[in-house]
Amino acid sequence: MHNRALPYLLTLPSLILAAVVIFWPVVDLIQISTHEVSRFGQLRDFSGLDNFAALVADPDFIKALVRTGVWTAAVVGGALLVSIPVAVILNTDFYGRSLARVIVMLPWAVSLTMTAIVWRWALNGESGMLNSALRGLGLADHNIQWLASAATAFPMQIMIGILVTVPFTTTIFLGGLSSIPDDLYEAAALEGAGPVQQFRRITFPLLKPFVNIAIVLNTIYVFNSFPIIWVMTQGGPANSTDILVTHLYKLAFRIGKLGEASAVSLVMLAILLVFTAIYIRLAMRGERA
Amino acid sequence: MIAPKLKRTIIAWSLLAPLVVVTLFPFAVMFLTAVKPAQEVLTPSWWPSEFRWRNFYDMWVQAGFGRALFNSLYVSVIATVGAIVISIPAAYAMSRFRFAGHGAFRQFLLVSQMISPIVLVLGLFRLLASFGLVESLNAVGGVYMAFNIAFTVWMLQSYFDTIPRDLEEASWMEGGSRWLTLRKVFLPLCVPAIAVTAIFTFINAWNEFVVALTMLRSQESYTLPIQVFSLVAGRYSVEWHYVMAATLVATVPVAILFVWLQRYLVRGLALGAVK
Repeated sequence: MHNRALPYLLTLPSLILAAVVIFWPVVDLIQISTHEVSRFGQLRDFSGLDNFAALVADPDFIKALVRTGVWTAAVVGGALLVSIPVAVILNTDFYGRSLARVIVMLPWAVSLTMTAIVWRWALNGESGMLNSALRGLGLADHNIQWLASAATAFPMQIMIGILVTVPFTTTIFLGGLSSIPDDLYEAAALEGAGPVQQFRRITFPLLKPFVNIAIVLNTIYVFNSFPIIWVMTQGGPANSTDILVTHLYKLAFRIGKLGEASAVSLVMLAILLVFTAIYIRLAMRGERA
Repeated sequence: MIAPKLKRTIIAWSLLAPLVVVTLFPFAVMFLTAVKPAQEVLTPSWWPSEFRWRNFYDMWVQAGFGRALFNSLYVSVIATVGAIVISIPAAYAMSRFRFAGHGAFRQFLLVSQMISPIVLVLGLFRLLASFGLVESLNAVGGVYMAFNIAFTVWMLQSYFDTIPRDLEEASWMEGGSRWLTLRKVFLPLCVPAIAVTAIFTFINAWNEFVVALTMLRSQESYTLPIQVFSLVAGRYSVEWHYVMAATLVATVPVAILFVWLQRYLVRGLALGAVK
């Protein structure tokens, strides 16, 4: 009955599919990035690391790289700061809690593309509803051209990024909070610990592994996130809101610098692999504990 | 003196209020713009003078919504059915067998889960182009299938692990073959888990943007996100009431499904990831 080959046969189809669709492109990208390549993708001479050198010499790439760092840190950090209190609140018992949960989860349920399209309209300079709301409330006396300069567009994109990251993050924390036994709090209350002390001494330390997981997973998702920026500004005006993914897309499909585009892909892959390694270590540690 | 729960309620809602407002704001914008008469869309007023429900009908015709809806359904069904059919055996093997390469396969899944299509988009485009499959909805479905495999195997395995082996062992004792046991005992127990995983795969494919944007170049093959995006991008004048009506129709059914099933997603991911 025990067929030794069976588990391999069962996993084979998924391996083949992933190998063709995920790993073949990786190999292809390595090839392109180390060759001279025409606009139409014909490979010419081997060129070593020339494409990578061209990247490093390109100020647009460096700016996009730095901006990706800001974008990722701001969205992940912001989502964390919002999600911990939200999870703590949603974990208490109050009227309308299930409604509150549904509202908090809503941004997760809508595709990023659609969210970004709605915001692009809401932030419209002349007739956007954010401007009319702000003017109606007396918070602004003239229309703000939100998407016309990076100084207002990029913070808005970060805000939207945070908004769509909060549901997933809150969910992880709710899972973490439900694993903390209530009697810990009862004991602490008996000893005279106030809510702030309870949070600092009990909630936060016990939540810490979940915070770590949330940081790493969100970093990976946000680092890869394309639709918000592409739909709202396409990295513009004048590349001033470009992050690596939008820069990569422009290099590959607008400008046709395929060699440099593949080099960007590989740099991103390398960064992602580092994050993934961190995640695997964290997850393994959690499993052993 | 007010009851403690009432007090907690007031505090909780007032603390949540800013987030609730920012979350609901885009939905309000979407809905109110979608039902505004055309001439009011560009005037900076919030409330429409009348609810123009006809916008939805006009949008359907004008925006080519039906075609895109069909394409989205088609691609998502291919991705879902394919990913589930391929993942069930893999997840079963991961859950019920100890084999060399078990750990390696798990890590392989994790790594492929972390790679999003955008990073590989140029390589993917060249892959499809080399087979002449740009514009092919089937190929896009296949790409979605591959990128969802890690997720589906992960979800299914975490459910499979919760099903006690005794049931299968009892069936083997009675002389049932592995295949028969699988069909008559194991899989029926997994139907809810498979359904939930399938729905999430469907939603993932339904919402996907960058692969569709890159591979599908002509209007006939656009999926919904690309179709709606094409109504906005690079146009001098955008008919925002149609765009918002289209976003609303494309979003609401899937959003309801998602909110309804969200707790299963959490349970499955939590079983697998933060065990």
